[in-house]
Amino acid sequence: MRRGLAEWRGIGLRRSLIFVALACAFTVPVVAHHSPAAFDRTKKVTLVGTVKEFRWQNPHTWIEVLVPNDKGEDVLWGIELTSPTYLVRAGWKSNTIRPGDKVTVVGNPVRSGEPSAIFVSLTLADGRTLTERPARLGGATTGGKE
Amino acid sequence: MGNLMHGRIAAVIPSSVASLVAPLVASLVACALGVPTSAQTPARASGNQAAQADAPPDVPLSALAPSNLAKRRPKPPFDLTGNWFIDTTGNPEAWRFGAPYPTFTPAAQVHIDASRKAAAEGKVYRDDIGQCWPAGLPLIMTRYWPIAMIQLPTAIYMVSGFMNSTRIVYLDGRAHTDPDVVVRTFNGESIGRWEGETLVIDTQYFRGDHHWMDQGGLGIPAGEALHIVERVRLVNGGRQLEIAYAMSDPEHWIGDWNSTKRFNRVDDVDIQEVECLPDLNEHLQSTTSKTQVK
Repeated sequence: MRRGLAEWRGIGLRRSLIFVALACAFTVPVVAHHSPAAFDRTKKVTLVGTVKEFRWQNPHTWIEVLVPNDKGEDVLWGIELTSPTYLVRAGWKSNTIRPGDKVTVVGNPVRSGEPSAIFVSLTLADGRTLTERPARLGGATTGGKE
Repeated sequence: MGNLMHGRIAAVIPSSVASLVAPLVASLVACALGVPTSAQTPARASGNQAAQADAPPDVPLSALAPSNLAKRRPKPPFDLTGNWFIDTTGNPEAWRFGAPYPTFTPAAQVHIDASRKAAAEGKVYRDDIGQCWPAGLPLIMTRYWPIAMIQLPTAIYMVSGFMNSTRIVYLDGRAHTDPDVVVRTFNGESIGRWEGETLVIDTQYFRGDHHWMDQGGLGIPAGEALHIVERVRLVNGGRQLEIAYAMSDPEHWIGDWNSTKRFNRVDDVDIQEVECLPDLNEHLQSTTSKTQVK
C-alpha cells in the first residue's frame, strides 16, 4: 500500500481522478542531500489528503500524506522538502501542519510512478498556501540543486 | 609484589621453572598496571614540555597547541572567518565542477557512459551522496549549504552545513603526512601556504571509492590519486571568496581540470546539526525508488 500504487487525487475532480499537470513553470528550489534527477520537473501531481507525519529536521523536512484512491484505500505519499533553514525564511514553522490535518500538496513526482514527489506547494485547510520560496542565502538564488 | 607472585606460581609448577618465569610475569603485570591506555586515558604531563617529550619526534604540534598558536608568523593577508555560501547568481548549476571538461580516461568513461544511459532512462546513476556517503572534496565546497570557516594562525577549520563535514587546512608549515601512515578521507589532507595575497591549498590522500566529481548528472569518479590545488582570494571588498581549482587525477582524466568558484559571505545564517540518520532515506522514497541505479 505504501508504494507501488500511483493513484493521484485531483482538486475538484472525483476522488479517483489522476491529475497530472504538465508544467512549464520555473524550477522549484531544493536543498537536497540527494540528486533531484529522480523527479520529473515537467510534471506536477496534486494530492488531497490527510497528514500522517510531518518531520521537521535536517537535511530534509518531509510530509507523509494519506491520499485515498478510487477504491477508498489510503495510499501513503511521501513529499520531500528542503531544510528548515530555508523553510523558516518562507514562513514555515515546525507546527505549520500536524498529523490529521487536511491538506493539498503539489509536487513533482518521481519518474518511476511510485507515490513520491518533491515539494512545490502546500495549501492548508484555512486556504493559506506555502511554498519553499524565498530560498535565498547571501544573495544566491537556490535553484534546482543542493 | 614479586614475592607474592613467586609464591603463587611455585604452588602449581616446579620451583626451577617458577624461578625463571616469576620475574617475567611480575614485570609484565607491573607494566600493565603502570602504563595508561593512551586512547582512553589523558596523558599526565605536568606541562607542555613534558607532553612534547612524550611525543614521537615526527608528530607535529597540534594546530591548537598554545605553543604552536603563539609562534611568530607574518600577518596573513586576509581572514576567512565567517559563513560562506556558493554563489549561483545567474547560474543555478554553478555548484557543478563542469565544463570545460578534461579528456577522460577509459576508466572514467565507463561511468560517464553508464550515467548518461541511466539519465536517458529517467534514472539516477550511483548517487552515493544521496545514500549518505560523504560528498568529499571538491563537491563538499559547493553544496547548497553554508560553510562555517574559522581561521587561526595555524589552521583554517571548515565545517559544512551539509552533514557537518569537517575540513582542516593546516597553515603551520607542516608537510603532508607520510603516505604509508596517512588515513585517506573524502575531504583529503589539506596543507595551505600564503603566496602574496593568495592562499594556496594543496590537498591529497583521498578515498577513491564512493567519491564523485558530480552528482545526479555525469558519473565522474574521483580516485585515490586525486590532487587538488586551490588558489583562494578575497574579492569584492571581502564580501566574496574566490577559489580557483586545479584538479588532477591521472586515473580518470588527462592533465588539470580547472574551475573557478565564488562564494558569498552570509551573515544571516549559522550552520546547524545535520546528519544522515538511518531513518532519513526510509522517509525519502526517491532515494530508494526504482529510479536509483546503485
